[in-house]
Amino acid sequence: MMELKNIGVNFSGRDILKEVSITFHPREIIGLVAPNGTGKSTLMNVIMNYLRPNSGKVLFNNELEYTTKSNEVKIHKLVSMMPDQSDLYNHLSGKQHLKIYSSMWDSNPELIESTIKALGMESYVNKKTGTYSLGMRQRLCFAMQIVSDTQIMLMDEVMNGLDPTQVEIISQTLVKKKAEEKTIIIASHLLENLEKYANRIFFVKNGKLDLVEDIYKDLGVNGNAVIRIPEGTAELKDKLSVAYPELNIQLLANSVMLVELPKGGSGILEKVSAFLSENHKQAFSVGKMSLSDLYSKYYH
Amino acid sequence: MRAYFKFEFIQFMFNKKNIAIYVILLFFACFYALKMAPSYDPIEQVDREEIEARFLTREDFLTNLVIDENTYPLTRFAAAIYPEWNEYDKQRLDAIDNNDLKKYAESTYKWYEYSDFMIFRNGRDLLYYNPRYYTAGNLYATEDGHYAYMYSASRFKGYAEGNSDLSMDVFEERTALQTLQRLLHGYLPLILLVSCILFTADIVLKDKRNPTLIKGFPISIWKRLLVKGGIALIGSFLTVVPLSVGFFIIAIQNGFGDLKLPVPIFSYEARAFTMISMGEYLFQNTLLILFWFMLLISLLLLISITIRNEFANLALGLVVVFAEFYYYVRGLGFVKDIQWYPSSYVQVGQIIAGYREYLNNSIELNLTNGLLVMSACTAVCLLITFLISNRRGFKYLR
Repeated sequence: MMELKNIGVNFSGRDILKEVSITFHPREIIGLVAPNGTGKSTLMNVIMNYLRPNSGKVLFNNELEYTTKSNEVKIHKLVSMMPDQSDLYNHLSGKQHLKIYSSMWDSNPELIESTIKALGMESYVNKKTGTYSLGMRQRLCFAMQIVSDTQIMLMDEVMNGLDPTQVEIISQTLVKKKAEEKTIIIASHLLENLEKYANRIFFVKNGKLDLVEDIYKDLGVNGNAVIRIPEGTAELKDKLSVAYPELNIQLLANSVMLVELPKGGSGILEKVSAFLSENHKQAFSVGKMSLSDLYSKYYH
Repeated sequence: MRAYFKFEFIQFMFNKKNIAIYVILLFFACFYALKMAPSYDPIEQVDREEIEARFLTREDFLTNLVIDENTYPLTRFAAAIYPEWNEYDKQRLDAIDNNDLKKYAESTYKWYEYSDFMIFRNGRDLLYYNPRYYTAGNLYATEDGHYAYMYSASRFKGYAEGNSDLSMDVFEERTALQTLQRLLHGYLPLILLVSCILFTADIVLKDKRNPTLIKGFPISIWKRLLVKGGIALIGSFLTVVPLSVGFFIIAIQNGFGDLKLPVPIFSYEARAFTMISMGEYLFQNTLLILFWFMLLISLLLLISITIRNEFANLALGLVVVFAEFYYYVRGLGFVKDIQWYPSSYVQVGQIIAGYREYLNNSIELNLTNGLLVMSACTAVCLLITFLISNRRGFKYLR
């Protein structure tokens, strides 16, 4: 278990993280979502003690915190961060990298072969990483963290450069690790993927971590259906607002227009459908607001 | 720690710069063994023609000399000293003709002892050492000759009294072990120390190129630095591998030599030479070089975590090694306590052989003081490194 207590990070008078307090538990995949430069990596760096917060502390398993250098070593046996693919040693093979990480964390050596197999790396793992494509390097970095087998795993943009098949393979591995009592924190922009596998997703904004569920509640859309119009315009929004002033209508940054359907508002869906048809908008869908739309709305 | 050691060792051995250093040393060793060593031209060599020419000239002089009341004093002096001198030369010639190397060593030791006594004590400005000591600008030619004759006397005495296999190559110090001894007396220690600096300069700072891969390793910074220092030390000693190629080439050409061969060691206090075996001489050199390596490595580790610049590592390391060239003048040790400067011990072979005592007119520039100064400086560097690396706010990679 890992607990962040009142973490505050300030760069040149600007609050990157503000009084962040949160607990992460075993068997959890946590998603961190935010535009670049909003504090995701900073948070991970604080957890790793690469960056000392201006205030607050990180507590591991209710006892360990970064008070001494020897504690740091103990904590780093519990928590690891996925390396960046640009930091790989080009003159070493993928397998050598895996062996390094396995031996550094003294994990079960059998994990090396099983991870290679699970991630489909057999064909290139013995070649020097200098010959790898971005996706291969990314998979190797992920595999390195998997073989380290730490209790807490931090992954920054783990899905970068991966095709959908690889994303799925890695996601399945994450689910397996979660079942092994691991806590996995992922910073990612693949919202649909996160939505599928993460137990909790946080948006980072203004130095705060906001749980997506809470954002839904705050927006009043939690549990309500919305009409999602992919190619919305300001003109259409205005027209619809005039026609149905009781409806909550939002035009997002990604040009998606959301029309909130009030509970018990029977008949509204048909009226809005007809209105959209009249205005030549045949493509729309009805359902819960997607994470992607929420993201656009939240960071608009 | 073992895993980290293995990881660092792989890094070290795959490092292109390190490979280049080993290759250059290999080239240097081969070039020296094939080109320079065969052309070695010692001042003190076994030269039958020279001995015979000197012997015959003096013999002729003594045969034809008539001493009476008008004889010039210097002629009387020559008549007094040449008979014994010539006797030794005669013994040397007979020994060469009979291939009696033991006898040659014995008579040569007596010849050098007698020659030095006559030239240095009785014949100043009248008698001279081998003319090759009197080079242009050498103000200390007589002292150099004096040292060389004492050294040769001691060396041949050791050959005469010892039980090593003797040969002309042994007499002219051409065997592999003796070549190594001569190189340790010259620039080999500097080459080894500069190699150590080059190996160590980037051993910490190279991690800046792969920060995310390394930063999170569950090993303390102090232990990391110790492991890196250990690797640099091993790497520095591995320079023996390429250099040994040259050693074996010389061994094939001129023989291996003998670890029991005597090596004369000068004592300024006794103003005389004592003898140690070649094995002991090499061991003492290795010991002082080991302490030099440890000092340089601990210094560069400290600079790596404070200044964090490879150029600073190189510059400061080289300053320590080459500082002696800046302040050294012959006899300085008599007036200044240069024995407390680590850089005064950079000529490792000369320290062990006592030559530095002779040059500096000081009994202080010896192995014991060298080890003391090196270990004290190393301890200070390591202590500061330990304190800095264990500070809570210290970041290994910024």
